[in-house]
Amino acid sequence: MQWWCFAREGAWTWAWQPIPGVWAFVLSLGLVYHLRSRHWHQEAPGPGGLSLGWRKASFYGGVLLLWVSLDWPIGPLGAGYLASVHMLQFVLVGVVAPALLLVGIPEAGYRSLPGRRFYPFLRQLTHPVSAFVVFNVIMTISHWPGLVDRLMPTQLGSFVMDLSWMFAGLVLWFPVIAPVPHGKSLHPLYKIGYLALNAFLIRPPFAMMIFSAHPIYEIYELAPPVGGVDPLADQQLGGAIMKIGTAWAMGAGVVAAFFDWRRAEEGGRVGGA
Amino acid sequence: MLGRAANTLAGLALLSATSCQPAAEGPAAEGRTSARSAASSYRGTLLPDPIQKPDFVLPDTRDRPFDFQARTRGFVTLLFFGYTSCPDVCPVHLANLGLVLAKLPPEVRTQINVVFITTDPDTDTPERMKEWLAGFHPDFIGLRGTLDEVNEIQGRLGLPHAVVVKSDEGHTVGHSSAILAFTKDGLAHLRYPFGIRQADWAHDLPRLVQEDWVDS
Repeated sequence: MQWWCFAREGAWTWAWQPIPGVWAFVLSLGLVYHLRSRHWHQEAPGPGGLSLGWRKASFYGGVLLLWVSLDWPIGPLGAGYLASVHMLQFVLVGVVAPALLLVGIPEAGYRSLPGRRFYPFLRQLTHPVSAFVVFNVIMTISHWPGLVDRLMPTQLGSFVMDLSWMFAGLVLWFPVIAPVPHGKSLHPLYKIGYLALNAFLIRPPFAMMIFSAHPIYEIYELAPPVGGVDPLADQQLGGAIMKIGTAWAMGAGVVAAFFDWRRAEEGGRVGGA
Repeated sequence: MLGRAANTLAGLALLSATSCQPAAEGPAAEGRTSARSAASSYRGTLLPDPIQKPDFVLPDTRDRPFDFQARTRGFVTLLFFGYTSCPDVCPVHLANLGLVLAKLPPEVRTQINVVFITTDPDTDTPERMKEWLAGFHPDFIGLRGTLDEVNEIQGRLGLPHAVVVKSDEGHTVGHSSAILAFTKDGLAHLRYPFGIRQADWAHDLPRLVQEDWVDS
């Protein structure tokens, strides 16, 4: 029984496949949020200016995005057939969805998070410098050809890969979006610098995918062809999706941080660094 | 007769009933590292006993007789058996080879022939083969004979016979997934199992063109 998408043998088929592990994962995420959100009351729009309704829409949008990215057909296509779809999955699961999930939690939600004894660890982990390092190290390692070729042919490996992306994305966005555990929000100027650096950074996987003379991922090069796509062109498209998708998401974060800054200045409150 | 039956039995034992299974030649059976012979600078598998280039004539995709030995003399010739509706091994093998060939300098590329012999002659019409092969590289040569003729050639090369498996969903053909590389001396010293990558072809093909096997 296939519970998570992985690189399977055999030609690609458009016949629908159930991926129950993905359903269980997204349903659990949505259910936990639903149960906790019943205790949150409509709060006055704070930094970010979002009402509880919009926050809920953001969280459920993130859950929906995770579902679409991990379930059939994007899940199996990205796991074993097309590098470009794999990179699209990375952008959605590891960059966009985590931001939507974090935005979806109101300040009261963060303050009522269980496990406060882990705050010191969380504080270290989500400090902008360590968050930057954690995201970029996980991002680089999880795209290393030797690791991708070993992890993707197994369900557990593929699951670990997706979770590591999501974890890296949550860590990346935490200092920009979450009001805890640092006590006060990062100064918008620092947020903009942090996001801009992440947007423009040329990471090793991107360089390898774009500039390599031959396909670097064995599983995609030797996968049964889908639509006659040249594996090298597919890989280069994947590199472009990764770079442009990540930069676009960071750009959206910069714009949001800028308007948040303006709103805060107009309201006379700007957080310290 | 006994030889043919033995070959067929060996083929049945080797080939999976699903499709073009890499018949104990792929990386799963052989391992990537062992495919790269430590004894040579090649990434293909060095054959302990080189195989003589077979002498046969089969019609090409224009239905003209193609004398394999005469027409490939003086060239590096890569010989592959497969079929056009193969879902996995054949299109991947040929696509990777075609993409690398297209990037080689003309002085190297023009010294290499790729010959494809169909193991599914009932389905693979000359027109279908021509169109399919052109999708990989315009210079790929397609040949078609009866299944008996093709199996006889495969037998001479030490390859398992092709086996047609029919099911409700259609049919598949089990066949060898290895590409045999005949060099200019008329012998195949190397074979390339499924799992060989573009970087491997790019590494080996220029060397094969230069190779004279003096020390082999």
